[in-house]
Amino acid sequence: MQPPDKTDPRSGTLVEAHKTYDKRIIIFYPAIGVLLLIVAIGFAYQQLFKANEYAESEKIQSLRRILTPGPRGNIYDREGRLLVGNLARYAVTINLDELRAEFRRAYLITRRNYREADDKNIPSSRQLWIIARYAVMQRYLDRINEITGRDETVNATRFQRHFNQQLLIPYTLIDDLTSGEYARLAEQLPVNSPLRLTASSIRYYPHGSAAAHVLGYIRSSDDLDAEGFPGENLTTFKMRGTTGRDGLELRFNEHLQGKPGYTIYRVDPAGYRIEPPLEHQRAVQGQSIVTSLDIDLQKVAEAQLGDIDNDGYRGAVVALDVLTGEVLALASNPGYNPNDFFPRLSQETVDKMNTQRAWFNLAIAGGYQPGSTFKIIDAIAGFRHNVLKPDTEYYCDGILRVGNRNFVCNNHSMRGEMSFRDAIAKSCNIFFYRESLVLGAQPIADEARRFGLDQRTGIELPSEGKGNIPDPIQRRARGLPWTGGDTVTLAIGQSEITVTPLEMAGFAASVARDETRTTPTILHDPNRTRQRTEPIGLTPEQRHALVDAMRETMKTGSGRMLTNPRFKALNLGYLDIAGKTGTAQREVWVDGKRGIINLAWFIGFAPAENPSIAIAVVLEGNIPGEELGGGAKAAPIAGYVLKKYFEKHPDQIPAQPEM
Amino acid sequence: MQFKRFDQTKPFIVLAIVFAAWMFLPFAAKRLARHAFFEFQAPIDVSAATIRTFQDYWAMRTRNPNDLIEAGQEIARLNSFYENKIREAKTLEGEIARLEALLNLPVFNEYRHEAARVVRRDYNAWWQRITIRKGRNYGITVGSPVIFAGGVVGRVSEVGLYTSVVDLLSSPGVRLSAVIETDGKHRPVNFQGRSSSAFSNATGSLEFVPLDIFIASGEAPRVVTSGLGGVFPPGLSLGVIRKLEPDSDGLFQSAEVSLDSRLASLMEVTVLVPLAPKEPPKGGAR
Repeated sequence: MQPPDKTDPRSGTLVEAHKTYDKRIIIFYPAIGVLLLIVAIGFAYQQLFKANEYAESEKIQSLRRILTPGPRGNIYDREGRLLVGNLARYAVTINLDELRAEFRRAYLITRRNYREADDKNIPSSRQLWIIARYAVMQRYLDRINEITGRDETVNATRFQRHFNQQLLIPYTLIDDLTSGEYARLAEQLPVNSPLRLTASSIRYYPHGSAAAHVLGYIRSSDDLDAEGFPGENLTTFKMRGTTGRDGLELRFNEHLQGKPGYTIYRVDPAGYRIEPPLEHQRAVQGQSIVTSLDIDLQKVAEAQLGDIDNDGYRGAVVALDVLTGEVLALASNPGYNPNDFFPRLSQETVDKMNTQRAWFNLAIAGGYQPGSTFKIIDAIAGFRHNVLKPDTEYYCDGILRVGNRNFVCNNHSMRGEMSFRDAIAKSCNIFFYRESLVLGAQPIADEARRFGLDQRTGIELPSEGKGNIPDPIQRRARGLPWTGGDTVTLAIGQSEITVTPLEMAGFAASVARDETRTTPTILHDPNRTRQRTEPIGLTPEQRHALVDAMRETMKTGSGRMLTNPRFKALNLGYLDIAGKTGTAQREVWVDGKRGIINLAWFIGFAPAENPSIAIAVVLEGNIPGEELGGGAKAAPIAGYVLKKYFEKHPDQIPAQPEM
Repeated sequence: MQFKRFDQTKPFIVLAIVFAAWMFLPFAAKRLARHAFFEFQAPIDVSAATIRTFQDYWAMRTRNPNDLIEAGQEIARLNSFYENKIREAKTLEGEIARLEALLNLPVFNEYRHEAARVVRRDYNAWWQRITIRKGRNYGITVGSPVIFAGGVVGRVSEVGLYTSVVDLLSSPGVRLSAVIETDGKHRPVNFQGRSSSAFSNATGSLEFVPLDIFIASGEAPRVVTSGLGGVFPPGLSLGVIRKLEPDSDGLFQSAEVSLDSRLASLMEVTVLVPLAPKEPPKGGAR
């Protein structure tokens, strides 16, 4: 083998000879230059044209937004008394981002313990982390238990879900601290502890079940309106808010709903937040509502309807301000206590409410046959069509044969010529049977429609129902006959006709003002002006005869219980009430058997001259065949409400004639 | 030259080594070192306080004897007044005990009152704490409430053998349960000391103040301990509300509380050393 020629740079040796310059390498320079240029252009492109995109991506990856709901606005009665407010609920929460080191320590200890125990079934790393975190949380909870004397444990599933999905939001360990527990924790927990004492709001109904159907209730909701807030494209955590589900809470949900607040945090790669927040805007309470309700009247009405479990009646009471149409009381029985919804409604309560159909607002949605209260419509229709005069008399012998059927009158024992005044006061059926047969059904139905008894009143409450006024035209349009029997049945507010208690209260208010429509409102406006609608169109004599007959009803007729001095609880003769009672029948099916229950009615207004309050009361009989008269049962309820109203407004009591 | 340069940097190197050593020192050793430092420092504070007392004594010696006679007479009058007050207090205590037994009321935690002299004050924008001349030797424990004639002073945060450190009410590290005297419903609120800027009066803050609390003109509501927290007895004054601001959540108000200005010049305080809780009386009253 020949020795390599050391003078020849390409001698074939494997040892690279260092040479300061090689001409062949020059061909790589352009290539390297091109490559560097490409890299530079690439960098420049990324920097100049994609910078915003990357900045946005970085922001999305590293920023988190937390939305906090604003407390709902309050609801007041017409005198400014709180009906619905927010009650502080004290809670103890823990900031998970302050526990990172403790989680880590607990993880290491847990792993070491498993290893030292030589456990063959050592959990996976993920499981060890879960165990460690749980142990830390329970340790903090034990400290709270020690101070408060509770015996709480961490809900592992709930905590793990919170950790995975809502790491930035403090975890609530206990959310129903009493004020004593809260005070003990405030004094005994170190200030720098990761445990925080917070207060959130729950809906609070200081009067319990009073006006529950009007006020409604709320449910938890994740639907927070973050429109217009910065960071729309950021990962967002929403703390649970609420939304109205019935009554005013539903109807004015947007008005009551607070404005959410937001906080934007930067987070580290593990997802823990970095204090302080980059942006923060506090939540703002929603607007308040002043209702037209008078909680004193409302409570009297509900108390008089009674407890459905204890001889109370299903039914409703509606009282209106005659001039403005503002609702003073709107009670529906059975009701419910909205406070029971917090923290959650028990299954037992739900079952009871379902059985009793307590969700249903009978005052605005209950359809009832109006019974003899409808005779006011008969009278107005008769006057307007000149079929009836103030001095008209019809013969009543307790029975009237129409077609091949006998229609009876058991409302009074008088027999002979019956005046209009007595017919209203004693609620004589025969008088109005005869009148309706002369007048015809269509004018009566038209008159009822003129008062809006077949339309929703438009009150600011959800799920309002409307009445049904049958008439010959409609019936014949369906190919069905209309008989004389149908006419007389309509005249006494029976059979297919239905009205809601709110419609009847509006009707009473309209009659009180000598007008045809009253638009009830549940909102109070101290400057609200008197409603003015189409006049009824009665002559002064007719008007006087009608009101006089309604007064007589309360003095000597079916509503006399209110003014009877022997019934000392009321004895309201000094109020000069104009009213009409009614007792209707409704077919029901109980345990597969047909039965008839009574519906007891009262409508009226007071004082008869310059009236200020109108009222409608309806009660459902509990069992078929039960005796339930409007004069004996419904009128006294109205009496108690009127009594309370005039106790509060003594200036509206009519002056007593001097003896 | 190089040696000289090394010589100049030596203190920094030593400092770095000490820091490194401290960082890697076991927790127990660190704790021991801290306690030792506190215990060694305490006699210095006590000595300084003793010297101050001695100075005061000799300053008094220079006073005119007539002044001293007047002061003695004033003290005699006060003694007489306080003796009467003590008798009244004993009568009231007996009445309270009788009513508690009669109504079968739960017995409050009871305390032993341990008067202690202040030996050092750290009262500035950074710290609001005092050191008192009693420690474990008098049974004082961490967390014990400390009071003075004007109400609450704070809580014991550290206890040495002969001295204790008390976090003043103005310290952000002190939080307790309070009530507003004008609030007939006695709803508890959260009091916490607040960092004050230099040369300003000590303040605290109240959280969760109900919305129906107002400041009537000229009558700032007084804030007192609630007694619900289990540490402080009820009715001890904390300060007066100076400012109320509604929280934007509409649920509560926040308040600024002005604290007693004497907190800055305390000489004597009383530590309430909790006694073992008594068993509640069994059975009804006879």
